[in-house]
Amino acid sequence: MRLLSPRLPMAGSLVCSLLAMACLSGGLRSGEATAAEAGPQNAVQMTIDFLARDDADYRSIGLDRVRYGVKGEEATRQFAGLLSKLAPARQRELTAALADRGDRAALPAVLALLQSASDGTVRVAAIHAIGALGAGSEVAVLTSLLAAADPEKSAARRALTVVRGPEATALLVAATKQADPALRPTLIDILADRRATSALPDLLGLAVADDAAIRTAAMRALGKFGGPDQVPGIVQGVLKAVAGGERDEAERALVTVCTQSPRKEESATTFLAQFKAADEPSREALLPALGRVGGTAAIAIVDTLIANTDASQRKLGLKALTKWPDATVSDRLLDLLGKAQDPAERELLLGSLIRIAPLPDNKLNDAQKLELLKKTMTLCERDEDRKRVLERANAIRTVDTLRFVMPYLDDPNLAEPACLSVVELAHHRSLRDANKDEFTKALDKVLGMTKNEELVDRATRYKQGQTWERKKPAGS
Amino acid sequence: MAYDPASLDKPFDVLKAFDWGGDASAFQPIDAAVVVAHADPAARADLEKRLAALLGAGTSRAAKEYVCRKLSLIGTAASVPSLAALLPEKEHSHMARFALERINAPEAADSLRKALGAVTGDLKIGMISSLAGRGDSASVPLLAALLSGESQTAIAAADALGRIHSPEAAGALASATATHPAATAAIIDARLACAEALLRQGKRAEATAIYKSLADASAAGTTPTAKAARLAAARGLLACLDTTTAS
Repeated sequence: MRLLSPRLPMAGSLVCSLLAMACLSGGLRSGEATAAEAGPQNAVQMTIDFLARDDADYRSIGLDRVRYGVKGEEATRQFAGLLSKLAPARQRELTAALADRGDRAALPAVLALLQSASDGTVRVAAIHAIGALGAGSEVAVLTSLLAAADPEKSAARRALTVVRGPEATALLVAATKQADPALRPTLIDILADRRATSALPDLLGLAVADDAAIRTAAMRALGKFGGPDQVPGIVQGVLKAVAGGERDEAERALVTVCTQSPRKEESATTFLAQFKAADEPSREALLPALGRVGGTAAIAIVDTLIANTDASQRKLGLKALTKWPDATVSDRLLDLLGKAQDPAERELLLGSLIRIAPLPDNKLNDAQKLELLKKTMTLCERDEDRKRVLERANAIRTVDTLRFVMPYLDDPNLAEPACLSVVELAHHRSLRDANKDEFTKALDKVLGMTKNEELVDRATRYKQGQTWERKKPAGS
Repeated sequence: MAYDPASLDKPFDVLKAFDWGGDASAFQPIDAAVVVAHADPAARADLEKRLAALLGAGTSRAAKEYVCRKLSLIGTAASVPSLAALLPEKEHSHMARFALERINAPEAADSLRKALGAVTGDLKIGMISSLAGRGDSASVPLLAALLSGESQTAIAAADALGRIHSPEAAGALASATATHPAATAAIIDARLACAEALLRQGKRAEATAIYKSLADASAAGTTPTAKAARLAAARGLLACLDTTTAS
């Protein structure tokens, strides 16, 4: 219903409002034609009148018109001219409306507002508006605001992300080289958020800069939107990164480009070529990333290393193999585990098998995944490892997994992880309902054994056909 | 696919006794024939005649509903008498209107206007709604006469005039005097609908006149309806003044 949809105001009559418009400050002349007789100039005046009201509903009508109506730069300038005359709360709402209007003619007034306003919320609104309306010429003022405290800093960052034009990107690139070093990583992050492909050559240069924070930010950016053309430079970034946290982040960027970017296959091929062309120390540094990228060409390199009689080379090969992203290396891992004597090597291989067996990567079907996990179980020598297998099993959501887990309920050392897996499998209603009798018996058994209150609650609920909501991790 | 009347004999027999929950697949050939009939006037006339014949006594309610749905697609003036006969019947009135609202023939609107004077209560409100659905300008005087009557009917009539939103409808609403507050609100709402339609058509002066009239009438009011009317009129007047923006 049209009549009841607007919020209800307490307002003076509209006719009075129309007459009063002529008396408003801000350049309106008395004696002008009545609003109903005139054209858009009076639409501006009427809008301004509504914006000046105490009644939020009338202001809402005016703001709506600022956002979507009364086109033209002159109208924009008149609306923006009000900013300096309003109270902070009104300044904030008008600034937001002018930002949505998208007319650069409002920019001088918004910049003046930013300069004069002391109210933090008004300043944040002005910064947002400068981002929406601005271009290259506003990059400097927004960049300077990155040094401010939050929320102005966050607003400036957001504004620099959305500010328009290729000139803006070029100025941001320049700022990454000239600005206060403490701000440069933030500027690089902004370029990444802008997906500024024109900045890619500069980002490659920054990826090997002397400052670790700048290198890390540049690699993070390249990981977001780099492609095969950037892989050689990204590889140099990995090699330049200091071993530890920085190297891990750099590797992550390289692996992301080679496994998740739109041209991931080309990127992986380029990386492999780079790896083959690298010297020995560089190849050692790149091996973990090669393992994470995976692929048939990489496996040949890893196989050669594992077969090497040099223990350090073999260790590098094994380390790369255990980082493989899918289950295509499962047979190799099983074979190596069967022969391994060194406890540390066994631990490494077993951990990999347990990790990759249920991966949802379509390399194995559910039956094959379970079969791999069963084989892994037979190779476990410690209950600690068997426990990990049982806990990982519930990622394979089939009734055969339930049948695999059930016997372990009778093993006092493994009953708890088995109980957990039974309950996790029962969590999935379609699986549970399709095998109701088996799950009822399994859940009864869990209820008779476990002392874990949460498992008791969940098992009871599932038996009664109820759902259970997983608790969100703290802070999420 | 060609229209084959003989192949429809059995489906029509099944349809006559069809009840909800029954096997509707038996008369799928009729559905197919309706599609074919769109491009075949002779087939359409034959099919329409056979469908309309089922609207008399001896046919289940579910079957009549099915027939009305099909006639809404292929019906012409020829179906109107059979459908109009159902309008006063509580069980069938709704589906008969469903068809008549969509049949592109003046006879269909005539039948709804005639029924408007003959039925009461919910059935009357149904006729008002269908006339509005057709955007039937000829029914404006009939609807205007209902604005001062019983409140539910007056509300429906006001809504219908707003949906018809012709200058005549706007005029009828402007001179209406409702006896119930809910009807008063419905009349204001309908006037706003007329003004919006006029503005969309570029008739700014006519729309402005309505908005100004509403603003004047609600200027001194303290009721929620008056306040809402003032706001809506203000929004409308501003839109009328703004010649730079498409309405």
